[in-house]
Amino acid sequence: MPANEASLIQLYHTMLDMRHFEESCLEGVPTREIHGELHTGIGQEAVAAGIAPWLRDEDALVSTHRNHLHALAKKVDPYRLMAEIFEKETGLCGGRGGHMHPFDPEKRFSATGIVGSSLPVALGFAYAAKLEGTDAVAVAVIGDGASNTGAFHETLNMAAAWNLPLLVVVEHNGYAISVQFSEVSATPTVAERAPAYRMWARHVDGTDVEAVSEAAAEAFTHVRGGNGPAMLEAKCFRFRGHYEGDHDTYRPRDERKRMVIENDPLTLAEKRLTALGLATEDELAKWREASRARAGDLLSRVRADPLPPAAELHRFSFAGQ
Amino acid sequence: MNTPSVRNLRFSQVIGEAISLEMEADEKVLLLGEDIGRSGGVFGVTRQLQARFGENRVRDTPISEMAFTGMGVGLAMAGYRPVVEIMFVDFIGVCLEQVMNAMSKIPYMSGGNTRVPMVLRTAGGCIGSAAQHSQCLWGLFAHLPGLTVVCPSSPHDYKGLMAASIQSDDPVIFIENKRQLNKLISSHPLDAYVPEERYVVPLGKAKVVREGSDLTLVTISASVGDALVAAATLESEGISVEVIDLRTLVPLDIGTVATSVAKTGRLLVVDEDFLSYGMSGEVITRTIEELGAGALRQVKRHAMPDIPLPASISLEKAAVPSAESIAGVIRSMA
Repeated sequence: MPANEASLIQLYHTMLDMRHFEESCLEGVPTREIHGELHTGIGQEAVAAGIAPWLRDEDALVSTHRNHLHALAKKVDPYRLMAEIFEKETGLCGGRGGHMHPFDPEKRFSATGIVGSSLPVALGFAYAAKLEGTDAVAVAVIGDGASNTGAFHETLNMAAAWNLPLLVVVEHNGYAISVQFSEVSATPTVAERAPAYRMWARHVDGTDVEAVSEAAAEAFTHVRGGNGPAMLEAKCFRFRGHYEGDHDTYRPRDERKRMVIENDPLTLAEKRLTALGLATEDELAKWREASRARAGDLLSRVRADPLPPAAELHRFSFAGQ
Repeated sequence: MNTPSVRNLRFSQVIGEAISLEMEADEKVLLLGEDIGRSGGVFGVTRQLQARFGENRVRDTPISEMAFTGMGVGLAMAGYRPVVEIMFVDFIGVCLEQVMNAMSKIPYMSGGNTRVPMVLRTAGGCIGSAAQHSQCLWGLFAHLPGLTVVCPSSPHDYKGLMAASIQSDDPVIFIENKRQLNKLISSHPLDAYVPEERYVVPLGKAKVVREGSDLTLVTISASVGDALVAAATLESEGISVEVIDLRTLVPLDIGTVATSVAKTGRLLVVDEDFLSYGMSGEVITRTIEELGAGALRQVKRHAMPDIPLPASISLEKAAVPSAESIAGVIRSMA
């Protein structure tokens, strides 16, 4: 991997497109074009963007209910992804999955809406990689909430017992909907549980995209090298409620305000880009505008697409349909 | 013509033979489960398979059903045909999440772009082990959309339906009956001849296992054998019972049932699974939808009552349908 592929400029562009992609999705909520609860990862872009450079096509990634950024990191076609989020016939799954259940087998990307359930499925992909003797990595993304499920323990134990190429990426945003991690976890971090399973682990600042990328590079190298499973925990901030419509009363207003001012991974990257002389304010403004325009075009295109016809309600129930 | 001879095998060995032939034919078939490798399974179904196919394809797992069931889902998505064993169906509670939200739903949720060709093998049936080790629960799985639910009765079907289940591109729940697994196949009243070669019994086709004219008895799994014994007894009493083995709860071959009921006008559903919200209600309702309410002169259900199965044999006998109790119910309908 050439070093420049993970350069700050590249990472920033990835985050920018992720942010605008989800902001476009937000537009579909008040209009009821997206009519279930929508979970966005706005504020958490540095985690997905930081692992993106190290993901290969042959790697599998199993994500969560908050999955759009990981799909983009896995190079899922943004148009077909957004069309699925907008429940369109042209979406990845013909509108059957929606925003919580996008599946792209060609990109080896999948997700689950059930907290903790990405882990066992990723374990299967990891076992497949071992059987085939490839250096593919299976990535399970979880939140801090999932670290308290039984699936977490079962999967980590099995992955380590069998030396499987599993990378667990923990997006630690501190809240399981309203319940604070610090109030329900025996350990302050998730990563410190990894040694109990004899797993390699790192805890990083998940608002610093370079830090995430550097740690991710190490994690992928460890797992790809046949050294067994690894865990990368990134402390990050979920800017919006758990879902669109969540009044978010469990977080004090000033905490929320401060979080956006102080911990926006995009703002932090912009500061660094200008400080390092890699971009001027004008360039940043242009990049932002171009990215916003791309997401807007995507949205217009998706909005023009048809919904799946009611006559096809039963289609895809069984193979051959 | 010589009748082909019935081999000296147990039901468990017949299932193992089917799995073994599928593993030989398709290297993507692999097994996961507790005690299936070194010990060959608590009922001996997978005996010798680890020695033949290696640890990678016959994998002993820890007691982590949630993880290894989900691992099966991931393997199926990665192009394998995993056969996952949940030792007793009663243990499904700890991994039902992966069954009801991943295994069963991914084919549809993905708009058909992802198939889950996975078999979840498990053992149901009442064997005196009381409430947490003697359930059937096939009605539970049949209630969840997306699962093919297979419950064989005859030795011939155990092998052919297992082969069909492994070859299916859809997720399959395959429920073996604990009352049968350790028995010799020669003890089964019908279809005990099991060819040594590979063959398939198609999924979703019920079988009329005994023809009759007075009453249609619909059942599944080990109760088919009990029904045949009851029907033979009743024949000497002048009652002619047609017995239908559904073989699969999903797909449900209601056409075969309706054809029979159109002839007999009487329907009895026997189910070793719980009475309420289950197979018996479903079969009767669909038959009425098919034929109209006027087509049935009599309808009856004989199933496990809605209680946790008690331990004491006196109570178990009072709860679980048997050849004697089935005959009694039919006499009451005559």
